Amino acid sequence: MRRFECSVCGYIYDEAVGLPEKGLAPGTKWEDLPEDFVCPLCSAPKTVFKPLGETAAPQPAIKRNNPVVNGDRAHGDIRDLSAGEIAAICSSLAKGCEKQRLIEEMEAYSALADYFKTKGMAQGVTLADTAVMLNEDIAKGFAAAKAAAQADGDRGALRSLIWSEKVSIMLQSLLDRFANEGDDMLSNTKIFVCDICGFIMLGGAAPEICPVCKVPQYKIVEIERR
Amino acid sequence: MPAYRNVRLCGKDCMCLYVCPTGATNTENSIIDTAKCIPGCMACVNACPSGAISMIPDEYPPQQPKSPEVVTEQRALGRSKVQQEEIAAAVAATTDSAVTRQFAEALAKSNLRMAEDILRESGYLLPQSAEARELLTAMLENTAPDFPTDAVERLLNQLHKTPDQN
Repeated sequence: MRRFECSVCGYIYDEAVGLPEKGLAPGTKWEDLPEDFVCPLCSAPKTVFKPLGETAAPQPAIKRNNPVVNGDRAHGDIRDLSAGEIAAICSSLAKGCEKQRLIEEMEAYSALADYFKTKGMAQGVTLADTAVMLNEDIAKGFAAAKAAAQADGDRGALRSLIWSEKVSIMLQSLLDRFANEGDDMLSNTKIFVCDICGFIMLGGAAPEICPVCKVPQYKIVEIERR
Repeated sequence: MPAYRNVRLCGKDCMCLYVCPTGATNTENSIIDTAKCIPGCMACVNACPSGAISMIPDEYPPQQPKSPEVVTEQRALGRSKVQQEEIAAAVAATTDSAVTRQFAEALAKSNLRMAEDILRESGYLLPQSAEARELLTAMLENTAPDFPTDAVERLLNQLHKTPDQN
């Protein structure tokens, strides 16, 4: 009997236990699960599960060839930041002010985020373009960033990467499905986004806690159709 | 350092009302009146049986330093997520399908949350940090008529009162 772990939320499917509440009796083999089997906790597809017990080959650290750090300043040169990146930094800092109950400062950072956001609009693009970039993140970007964070013992950076890698794997599976099914993918389901880590879930209701960052339900928002 | 009440945790145990020497905790909207609150008093924090009241710090230590390699990689990945957010937002703004728009809006929000978190961990954790101050100072060079210079000046004045404050 083997065990398979969801690479998004960590749920383990144990062949010996099965999943009786979904009609999968104890002893049901992994290959006998239906192709539309999804993780009972986070609804990620069968393809993101990994067999347990096999140690994955260590990923070689892949260095990117677009260094953005100039000089000796450890936070890099701000002139290398795009408008969209400054917008994301400012909206993050606005939330930091909100957590510190600095409301005027939150509004000021939000005004800056809004200004820079309008300067970075893309044109003539499709969701397939994001899928290409996402696949590159998952194939290379996360491994390189995790190697750097691990080498420096930077647990904060590593935490951000572990969460966003799980979210990215879920997004990749949804973009794959959307490429095949189109709008039918969402015909009978609601769509929820975790307002903390960005995890996307399809289903009838938001989960009790986010499967990735474990934040409670009230911070998971439904994206309405309009 | 005023007190803050988390309304989600407040069990209406009322101990804060009994111990507050100024009546700052007794408000109709449950928000502690910072004008009345005695900084550092702690009476309500210590008395609350639900652990719903905490003190908001006045000062924060410098944020943890980042290695150049971590900054490079977090920025590269953050840039990718920002670009994916911009693409998804553009699709949401232009598609004729309400369902595609719904999905694209979810993707845009998801990518923005990831970008914020990844870039925050590139040296922008703390709004009061020297890194944030440098970013704001560089923005003062922006002379575009629609640029909210007043917001930058307010942040530099209120969050960064002294040059050596982190």
